[in-house]
Amino acid sequence: MSGFVRGKFAFGLKLVLLAITTAVLALLTESAYAQKEYLIGTFILIAILALNFTYLTKYSIPLKFFVPGILFFFAFVIAPILYTGTMSVYKYQTGNYLSKPAAIEQVLILGAQPDAAGTTFDIVVGKNSANQYAILVSDITNNKYFISAKTSRTPVPVSEVKLNADKVAISAPGFKPISLNVLASNNSYANIRYFYEGKYYISIESETVGAVFTQGLSYSESTGIMTNLLTGDKYKDNGKGNFAKIGGTRDQILSPGWRAPVWFQNYTRLVTDNRIRTPLIGVFIWTIFFAGFSVLSTFAFGLLLAMALNRRMRGRKVYRSILILPYAMPSIMSILIWAGMFDSQFGAINSILHTNIAWFSDASLARGAVLLVNLWLGFPYFYLICSGALQAIPSELLEAAAIDGANPRQVFRKITLPLLLQILSPLLIASFAFNFNNFNLIYLLTGGGPRDTLDGHVAGATDILISYTYQIAFGKNIQDFGLASAISVLIFILIGSISIFGLRRTKVLETFE
Amino acid sequence: MNRKRLGVLGALTAAALAVTVAVVPGAHAANEIVIWADETRGPHLTSVFAAKGDWVPGYTIKVVTFSSYDALGAAFDKTSGTTGPDILVAGNDWVVASAKSGKLAPVTLTAGQKSHFTPSQFYDLSYQGKLYGIPVDINNVSMIYNTKLVKTAPTSFGDMVNFYKANKTALGLKAGLCISGGGMAWGGLSVFSALGANPYQMYNGRPNYHYTFDPAVFASNVKTYLLDANGKSNGFYPATDTGCMDNFLAGTVPYSVIGNWHWKTFVDKGFAMNLMPVPGAKAGTYGQMFGSVSGAFLTAYAEKHGVAVGAKSLLVNFFASTAGQVAYEALEGRPPAEKGAQSSPLVSDAQKGFGQAAGLSSMPQIGAFLGNNSGGANYWDSSGAYWTAVLVNGKDPLVEAKKLSKMWAKNVAAGKGDL
Amino acid sequence: MNKWLRENAWRHAFAIFMCLFSLFPLYLVVLSSVKTGGSLALTSFVPHEISFSNYQFLFHSPKTPYLLWVKNSMIIASTVAICSVVIGASSAFAFSRLRFKGKKFGIQLLLLVQMFPAVLALSAIYVIMERVYAFAPKIGLGTQAGLILVYLGGALGVNVWLLKGFVDTIPAELDEAAKIDGASPVQIFWMIFLPLATPVLAVVCLLTFIGTFNEFILARLFLVEMNGRTVAVGLQQFVGGQYSTNWGPFAAGSILASIPIVIIFLSLQKYIINGLTAGSVKG
Repeated sequence: MSGFVRGKFAFGLKLVLLAITTAVLALLTESAYAQKEYLIGTFILIAILALNFTYLTKYSIPLKFFVPGILFFFAFVIAPILYTGTMSVYKYQTGNYLSKPAAIEQVLILGAQPDAAGTTFDIVVGKNSANQYAILVSDITNNKYFISAKTSRTPVPVSEVKLNADKVAISAPGFKPISLNVLASNNSYANIRYFYEGKYYISIESETVGAVFTQGLSYSESTGIMTNLLTGDKYKDNGKGNFAKIGGTRDQILSPGWRAPVWFQNYTRLVTDNRIRTPLIGVFIWTIFFAGFSVLSTFAFGLLLAMALNRRMRGRKVYRSILILPYAMPSIMSILIWAGMFDSQFGAINSILHTNIAWFSDASLARGAVLLVNLWLGFPYFYLICSGALQAIPSELLEAAAIDGANPRQVFRKITLPLLLQILSPLLIASFAFNFNNFNLIYLLTGGGPRDTLDGHVAGATDILISYTYQIAFGKNIQDFGLASAISVLIFILIGSISIFGLRRTKVLETFE
Repeated sequence: MNRKRLGVLGALTAAALAVTVAVVPGAHAANEIVIWADETRGPHLTSVFAAKGDWVPGYTIKVVTFSSYDALGAAFDKTSGTTGPDILVAGNDWVVASAKSGKLAPVTLTAGQKSHFTPSQFYDLSYQGKLYGIPVDINNVSMIYNTKLVKTAPTSFGDMVNFYKANKTALGLKAGLCISGGGMAWGGLSVFSALGANPYQMYNGRPNYHYTFDPAVFASNVKTYLLDANGKSNGFYPATDTGCMDNFLAGTVPYSVIGNWHWKTFVDKGFAMNLMPVPGAKAGTYGQMFGSVSGAFLTAYAEKHGVAVGAKSLLVNFFASTAGQVAYEALEGRPPAEKGAQSSPLVSDAQKGFGQAAGLSSMPQIGAFLGNNSGGANYWDSSGAYWTAVLVNGKDPLVEAKKLSKMWAKNVAAGKGDL
Repeated sequence: MNKWLRENAWRHAFAIFMCLFSLFPLYLVVLSSVKTGGSLALTSFVPHEISFSNYQFLFHSPKTPYLLWVKNSMIIASTVAICSVVIGASSAFAFSRLRFKGKKFGIQLLLLVQMFPAVLALSAIYVIMERVYAFAPKIGLGTQAGLILVYLGGALGVNVWLLKGFVDTIPAELDEAAKIDGASPVQIFWMIFLPLATPVLAVVCLLTFIGTFNEFILARLFLVEMNGRTVAVGLQQFVGGQYSTNWGPFAAGSILASIPIVIIFLSLQKYIINGLTAGSVKG
């Protein structure tokens, strides 16, 4: 065993692992740079350096324990948080989703206007006599045929074209059709605007159909002005992520918009927007109560069970196996089963009690139900943890106390509980944080309700901050990721300070001195 | 660290690098059209394309099937361009938001291609005057009654209520009419509508912007049919759809609104497909239902992936063609949107039955109105809230109906700009 | 007898009560898995007819390669569990036993970032993995490998706290003795700490395994290929439909999916419950 860790074999193994990791990561860096993903590429490069530096030198022993974890942590926990934080200063919502260049491109695409009649033609794609991409167009209604290239249009007499049964031209002199299979592998023909007449051009709509368009909008890079070529209206960046008509009303804007930096506007909306602000305090208080009560109840039941089963007794294994079941069952399933059980019309609970109570329509009943279900979901976790923790308490300590004449209750209050709390307080705090953000439970069980929707209330009686945010930010058809990010940051700061405060009060942090 | 170590490391790195070069694959093919679909449509599209893949010569078609409709939505919401689909097959309620955000690209159809569909179907798939997709399947509901309990088709809403009251104890009924398919908001529109409340009204194929429903008429109907003398629910119409289907199948609910996607369940259980719209308060009138279409949408990513023409051709050649829709709907089992496919003998009678019920009384589902929440809450949330308030919490039907009427009118006015 | 009553009766009574509390909803899941209708609502507490069609459907329908999903779940969850334990245990060891700058800050930061509302960080993870896909399709969006990488981001989180609490209870004399023998911290970790911490590692392993096994919010965005899905994602397809939900197969699948977890729990029970820590000081 010691030879394994100390010897040449261990060193060799380390080297091989490191080499493989380095090689893989180096390759990833290379392709990341090739695809212009500079940020990710650089991160991987740093990862390579950090790994090699840590495991090839003796500069820092602690780092050897941390580096892989830190790299993952940074990539998939810290980076998303930073991203979300950044987005909180952007107007990032339905309609303002793309980057500015992408939005301009999209606006211009939508600016292509079909001609008044919506004219479409059957076409064949090929090359003309000058070897340029061209289309052979059949204007069946007028019995006219012509070949269109980017800048020119050449009529072809009916007598010279070869027609199929539908009177669509399939070939003409000087025109070389390209087979559909060839077209599929090279799309450079697709974005050409084939000349029609005046400002009108033919755009390829599918491999055999072209439609007549005119470009209705034009963008000037230098002035940043979007001009409607048909009406002469001019549109300017309104600083809120859209082109707005100069001298027009507020809603005369072009779609789509882009994510525009609006600095602290999302945060000030939390204070100024009545619909967001008013219920915030009520929701906040309930969230704290919900999270706090959930932690206490699950911990209390978990601990009590762990103590009850913390000795040799008949049926212990059976009990344990059953008690783990709520935790083993996918929580989406069990939450929805509970929702079904509380149903007023057909629910199991009303059937047993022979009542007809609408559990989720009354604020207090709904809150009670939420707490009960969360107890069911959470106690096995604390049962497991406490079972382990009880074992970790040195038995000498308990034996000594018993010899000193302490009764079991005293032993529990004076020794077991304080020790447990010391070991478990970070987990209690983490559990508090988890419940603070326990979106799934609320969303699947009550949907945040009951809520007086008809009176215009957005927040429901069981809405916690996260579900309330979700309601505002990701409501059907309107998604405001910028605002949601701002609320997330706010939640983060609130819950973070509560936790740090809680942590300081326990003696846990002192173990790090 | 000595030189020997470095040498070993270098050699190992080089060897490993050589191995990995072989492993890392190239980017996705230039002429591959990627379709994203949900858990029911995806496998059927896959089978159809496996049987015949040359709908667009030179292109290969790849169908990505998400594990659920929700998952598909969650993913498409988050796409930022690199891995997005070229064609998205989804409900029409996504059109407004996705088009507004620049995630969809417009399609132009020839007059001939358009003639395959009814014009109101394009309504559902357009945003600010531009069409973004092809109508694929019709989604609607219909009322069905249990012939073991009810011998004749009801002619008015009152007929059903009377039957329920007369036979409640004798037959052990748990409710009279409930929603098995589509939920209280979407599937339950017919009940609102039968009692006199519509979120908006169509007139000559266009929305009638002067319409608001009369809360007094609606509330008096609610009082007459759904409440008892004390103003409490008489149990005829439950405020939730939980358990409805089971109870209907078990014979404890005589009437139910079912969706056209699960008619097979009912046929297998031996129910006759006696489909009809929900009868209105006045005999001979019917409640309207949503007759919406799901679409195949062209996304803005198709252009970036260099397959825009291929994807548009697939939309036209497959999704907008009789042959394509017949092949697909024969597996999928929903009524096809395309006219030729609707009359195809391959389409089942039940599919056609739903189509007929929809033909009797349906309205297009206009997302711009329904998803708008300018009045305080959108249609989806407010409609369910009304039943909870009145049937569960015992609030006054008229007071609540007035709020509802005001809310819906505001939403329609605000949604006008998105059409 | 009297003593037995005093000492054990309440234990049994309480345990039985909690078992009933645990089992009641699960009984309803079982009930809905053996009936043919599609909903979760209760028509009666006793099934009128017992039908295994939902179970048959899972195993025979080409739409549901259920066993493959279980295999995927097992692979992903065990990979994540094992890697998480290694990452978590090494960090916990360092936090508990080594001296270095920024220790207090580091551990506070770890706790703090877990408070970030994950529902919203999801969009960012999607964007990152979408970009990774652009240059490395094998580990980006849509791959099991990518999903595992993302899951490992959480390995440093709550596990470190859990583990550290237990590392602290391991007597310091043990590793001091080893230090005198000339062992390096790395050697102490592998040779002394890991064996001693087996029970708590088992707990962490199990918790991570269960958590990963049941996770579907992220997984449903990553695992879109039918054959690459996990159980949690695969079962989604019955309940997340556009207009309909089909609870029967979902209930059946959930019951079957919880069986491996219970088996793993039972097989690790010895490690989880038997305290090695106290014993090792004596022995």
